[in-house]
Amino acid sequence: MFVSKLRLISSLLICLLFSFSHHVHAQSIDILLKGGHVIDPKNKIDGVMDVAITDNKISQVAASIPVTNAKKVIDAKGLYVTPGLLDMHVHVYPGNDLDAYIANGPTSVAPDGFTFRAGVTTVVDAGSSGWRNFRQFKEQTIDKAQTRVLALINIVGWGMVGRFEEQDVADMNPVMTSHMIKTLFPDIIVGIKAAHYWGDFTQVDRAVEAGKIANVPVMVDFGEHEPPNSIESLFMQHLRPGDIFTHTYSYGPTKRETVVDENGKVKPFIFAAQKRGIIFDVGHGGGAFSWRQAVPSIQQGFKPDVISTDLHTQSMNGGMKDLSNVMSKFMAMGMSLQEVVARSTWGPANVINRKELGNLTVGSDADVAVFSLRKGDFGFIDIRGTRLKGTQKLETELTIRAGKIVWDLNGISTPAWDAK
Amino acid sequence: MRMYRKTTIVVLSFFLSAAATYGQPFELLLQNGHVIDPANGIDAKMDVAIAGGKVSKVAANIPPSDAKRVIDVAGYYVCPGLIDIHTHVFVGAKPETFADGSLSISPDDITLKAGITTVVDAGTSGWRNFPVFKDQVIDRSKTRILAFLNIAGSGMSGKTTQENLSDMEVGKVVETIQAYPGIIVGVKIGHYEGKDWIPFENALEASNRSNVPLLVECHLPQYSLEDQLKKMRPGDIITHSFEKVSERMSVVDDNKVVRPYVKEAQKRGILFDLGHGGAGFWFSEAIPALQQGLAPNSFGTDLHRFSMNAGMKDMLNVMSKYLAMGMSKEDVLLRATWLPAKSIRREDLGNLREGATADVAVLSIRDGNFGFIDAGGNRINGTKKFEAELTIREGKIVWDLNGISATKFVK
Repeated sequence: MFVSKLRLISSLLICLLFSFSHHVHAQSIDILLKGGHVIDPKNKIDGVMDVAITDNKISQVAASIPVTNAKKVIDAKGLYVTPGLLDMHVHVYPGNDLDAYIANGPTSVAPDGFTFRAGVTTVVDAGSSGWRNFRQFKEQTIDKAQTRVLALINIVGWGMVGRFEEQDVADMNPVMTSHMIKTLFPDIIVGIKAAHYWGDFTQVDRAVEAGKIANVPVMVDFGEHEPPNSIESLFMQHLRPGDIFTHTYSYGPTKRETVVDENGKVKPFIFAAQKRGIIFDVGHGGGAFSWRQAVPSIQQGFKPDVISTDLHTQSMNGGMKDLSNVMSKFMAMGMSLQEVVARSTWGPANVINRKELGNLTVGSDADVAVFSLRKGDFGFIDIRGTRLKGTQKLETELTIRAGKIVWDLNGISTPAWDAK
Repeated sequence: MRMYRKTTIVVLSFFLSAAATYGQPFELLLQNGHVIDPANGIDAKMDVAIAGGKVSKVAANIPPSDAKRVIDVAGYYVCPGLIDIHTHVFVGAKPETFADGSLSISPDDITLKAGITTVVDAGTSGWRNFPVFKDQVIDRSKTRILAFLNIAGSGMSGKTTQENLSDMEVGKVVETIQAYPGIIVGVKIGHYEGKDWIPFENALEASNRSNVPLLVECHLPQYSLEDQLKKMRPGDIITHSFEKVSERMSVVDDNKVVRPYVKEAQKRGILFDLGHGGAGFWFSEAIPALQQGLAPNSFGTDLHRFSMNAGMKDMLNVMSKYLAMGMSKEDVLLRATWLPAKSIRREDLGNLREGATADVAVLSIRDGNFGFIDAGGNRINGTKKFEAELTIREGKIVWDLNGISATKFVK
């Protein structure tokens, strides 16, 4: 009797506890994005849904989550809700070495002024630093930025300190580079960069060697060889599936072999390379995106695996502008919104093997972007100063980074000034 | 004979180059736009021609054949490049610091895409580190950077240096202003928590001796607003004009009436800069102030790390707030060009007078449903918003939103 009474009490208590915890859970939505069109390529969601954020994590993605349970409700009707964008190619190592090029130098930019206003919550610095100066980069930028900053480390020990220094084969040390990744910063360094080399395949081969030791991908900027080295050889003999070719739609045929030939045809081996698993990254930059390469590519079915900016001071005010502008360019060429979102969220998250990013799976960090799709008469420029017209353009309404609102273009998260 | 031949060549080449210049005297022609140039009283459909980095002609129907390059700006407003007189752009690698630090912003990141061609740094540097600022930022930016020099020797290098009364040397400030006459336009008193008036008096004396305006910021909690305004001279500038913070009394009282001594100061010619920043602009103060005739003289953004992504965003957004509050676009543009130019006594800027440096902003006004946030996270709605289509700095195109200056891509 006594025991059964105890049992009853304890089961009641347990019930109470459960209902209490359920109650707490139900009331603890910090931000509820209501009625937006969610595009979450990883989870194959493409429709109107609500997104709930609790304790800086995604807590629920479902149709009709009750507003009574939320501390803040944001009306996202007519807007698109996506995972926070991941820009896989930026240069964000600014600093006081005025004679330097990108590493600790004036060509890099501080990330936060460009990311949030374009819906970006994670950037990957593409080899601005090498193993010798990565710690300074981390201290100056990575540890201070609100944007999540990950990095590809340069196979050159001093990173992009100067075009001349980047030729130093003696400073391309696969062992030291891989130590930096495997032993010291596996959470931040997601791959290796090989860039700006004037010689043969030595730099790429060293980078791949380091990539094999550290089990990470290599990104190659392969455009300063006179005459150009064969990209077919690069894709089929030197790189591994999962390695990345950037500046895909660049046109500078004297130094860089193009993906589209002079007759406007995508070279057959390009399709074979993509099938083999070579990742094609846009890496727009100040000199690496031309309509005459990109337009025929898209028309002939050769689409990039990743859409990225190559953000730096020489690209920021030119044809590139920001990631949402670059995505809009691909829409102007005929790709769908879903396709461009996939290539700037879950696509790059997979490439850098950070599968916790670029999606809205329950439990992941609440990095979210909310866009409007403006309709109108827009123009987009490439690096050669030619313009393509478009009728749609992405505009970033709201950006949430780890559950915090870090950008709100039109105040959709705020009360009216004279509200009681 | 030889001599003769040489002369012929010289004369001939002179005639040839003169003919070429005569044939197409302009490098760039902005055609069919609506020019708003408040300094020159122009508010009409006109063309603007540019040559040698200067504005060479503003007139109706300039023949396109006179220009090497023609941009059709029909439907847009063509204005002098905008001027932001309150920014923090002494960017560097020092953590948690404005001077030479990561709390400042590299100007070109934000300015050109907002139609701004000139910014004034508001006392981020002092006489000790101004040369570093000049070398590191001013000399390397596309944006024209002018500066108020802080009365504190090391500028905004953190609390200890800003509170150090022994490092507010009038002589050094005056000397530095004399050494950089084209760049330093005034003196700033900004951050000081003590009761002593030495920093303020010294800043005032330095600006007196240099014959430049004083910029007064808000972080002077022990000085009353009334006392600050009383000590200021006509032409001096107070910033963060519409803030509601504990550090300084608001310009309106609890009943939202503009305080009498504020009105008095306005009448005396004290200039009120907006100074938006992260905390410096509140609708609850700005809206009643505007209704009672206290409009900002300039739209200083107080650009820095913490304002850029908040309610401020950029100067066009701040200007659009005033459109939403009911100010006409002409009045807004006056306060974004000519009035700020005059306030820093740089009447060569902020206008499209023939012969002026060709700093031009081509703006559109978007129609739609927009919202604008203040420093307190409160919103007003509006139906119009400025957007920068094209920015020209010293005759060069430095921003082109929709490729209006580009040629059509042909396969």
